[in-house]
Amino acid sequence: MPTDVENWKSEVYGNEIRDHLFEFAEQGFDSIPDDERDAWFERFKWWGLYHQRNGQEGYFMMRIGTPNGVLEPGQLRVVGEIADEYARGPGTNPIFGDAYADFTTRQSIQLHWIELSDVPAIFEKLEENGLSTQQACGDSWRNIVGNPVAGKDAQEVIDAWPVIRELNETFKGNDDHANLPRKWKVSVTGSADGSGQGDINDLAFEPAYKEIDGEDVVGFNVRVGGGLSRNEPRLAREIDVWVAPDQVSDVAGGLSALFRDNGDREDRYNARIKFLVDEWGPERVRETLQDEYVDFELETVGRDVREEYTYNTGAGERNDLVGVHDQTDGTNFVGLNVLVGRMGAADVLDLADLAAEYGSGEVRLSQRQNVIVTDVPDAALDDFLDEPLLDHYSPDPSPFMRGSVACTGTEFCSLSIVETKNRQVRFARWLKANVDLPVGVDEFHIHLSGCTASCAQPQIADVSLRGMKTRKDGDPVEALDVGLGGGLGDEPQFARWVTQRVPVDEVPGAIANLIESFAAERDEGESFRAFVARHDDDELDAFVDPEETDYEDPMMHNTKRTWYPYAENDAMEDAPSPPADD
Amino acid sequence: MSDRLIRVNAYTTLDLVDGRARGHEFEADAPGVVNVTAPREDPERVTLEVELDNTAIDALTAHADEVALSPAQARTLAEALESTADRVEAAQRDEDDTA
Repeated sequence: MPTDVENWKSEVYGNEIRDHLFEFAEQGFDSIPDDERDAWFERFKWWGLYHQRNGQEGYFMMRIGTPNGVLEPGQLRVVGEIADEYARGPGTNPIFGDAYADFTTRQSIQLHWIELSDVPAIFEKLEENGLSTQQACGDSWRNIVGNPVAGKDAQEVIDAWPVIRELNETFKGNDDHANLPRKWKVSVTGSADGSGQGDINDLAFEPAYKEIDGEDVVGFNVRVGGGLSRNEPRLAREIDVWVAPDQVSDVAGGLSALFRDNGDREDRYNARIKFLVDEWGPERVRETLQDEYVDFELETVGRDVREEYTYNTGAGERNDLVGVHDQTDGTNFVGLNVLVGRMGAADVLDLADLAAEYGSGEVRLSQRQNVIVTDVPDAALDDFLDEPLLDHYSPDPSPFMRGSVACTGTEFCSLSIVETKNRQVRFARWLKANVDLPVGVDEFHIHLSGCTASCAQPQIADVSLRGMKTRKDGDPVEALDVGLGGGLGDEPQFARWVTQRVPVDEVPGAIANLIESFAAERDEGESFRAFVARHDDDELDAFVDPEETDYEDPMMHNTKRTWYPYAENDAMEDAPSPPADD
Repeated sequence: MSDRLIRVNAYTTLDLVDGRARGHEFEADAPGVVNVTAPREDPERVTLEVELDNTAIDALTAHADEVALSPAQARTLAEALESTADRVEAAQRDEDDTA
């Protein structure tokens, strides 16, 4: 028996949702019948719209899917203009103000406080400029991720950008692949740094060499069934397939169809392909793909370059793409740190101007919630780096600023149980002012997720923080579970959860004490991840050692019970009415 | 410790309760999570889940306990919880009045 969601999807789903969406936008939010809201809100996701949480009725989060994080010249300005005009609501964020854009861990963009009546105008502006929200959420092909500087990166094995573009064009709006049992996350990477984070995707294409007719050909190895959500993280599994670039689309479509036909539509908790791979094993996935979904002989796995991976590994060069790096054409890409991925609309517009002035106008987004300005010639580099905006969005930030990733949290999300983005900003600022990493340790990744859905990818950080509650001085307060030692690379490792329910105001002290122990007890040259690996859970729990400091947390109370955590009168009964239609 | 077994998000029934694990050879106080759930479609039973924080209990490996209740059993439990809650609140009021 299919689920409610499957029944709703069987009635209306995919491209056709748009007509209904526009009709509701025309007639007003209240025209959505009360007893159909759950169904329509579920369907709207396919067009990139999430209804915000309880207390924010009538406001939506809008996700713009930018394949591989690529924003072509002019597109960032469009995003900034839309954020400035439409992403304003009744709540003001004390750190980020009234209008802002969020860069996400899947190289997309999220705007908040969007009103339904504005959606047609926003879509028109996006589409006039080559942008789209189509399939940014919902049960289908999500935004395709990869190394954001594909086609430009001097460390590239193969240019994945044409492959990603082809996949995007083939599978966005494709009725055969529009209604899958669950989301379908694809990563295509051509660089040898691992920055596509393929291991945590449903489907990953990773650069690999294969001898074909006596010649070494560059293509991709295929991995299936990775993902972090629901307390059951999985690494994508090798299915013994190498594919040439011109056949990626066939294999990707075959696997997407295999998932469409065989994924579990009766239990959404069990629907992701990672559970099908658990059940079948990689061999059966390969056999089924070969027998039923492709009409050519699949090659066996090729020689990968995983040993060279550095991205998010906790050691070595290029743990992220922040800083100045060489492009293949002799110019540079400059990765700028955007703390927790959030940028005020005015700053977005300023950055768009700078990208046009010093580079080609193109900007790209990384999976660490940062922005990259590409195509900056050597001659323009110093002037660009001197721009005042880069004092805030630095190419050379403190390790605690550059290492911070945070999900949306109780500000807008209906799942989260703690406040996240502003808290992570406060954590990073306090750590920057008060804590030094040991000599030679330049990177330290701290990811904060508001619940077990793992949108901040907490399991692949040095320090993983996840929302919980505890009691302090008799009162319930927001708290965080602490995990340690996660990261990607040739040998990816999920964090080990060692300490539970640390009151949020004691978390910076806990991290400071942890780093002090690491500095005192590490072997020479030892990375934090290696340090964690050689200690048992009890030892690590003792290192964490929560402690009050001069850090103050203004959001200790139960923010999920507010209508907006930062409102002066934040109680649910003070929630604003749905926006009037204009 | 291993990861939590129960998903904890805004839909979890209680993300913070005071609990105790008790055996013949051990006793440990621990905070915990309590959740009531059932499949969205064709549910036959109500599931009551309890997981105490593993870091607070050395004597047990990480685990969650689940009880499958028929609707009638779930109602019996709910009524017992309601009436006992009434009794506790009444006792507290009496205490407040005499204080």
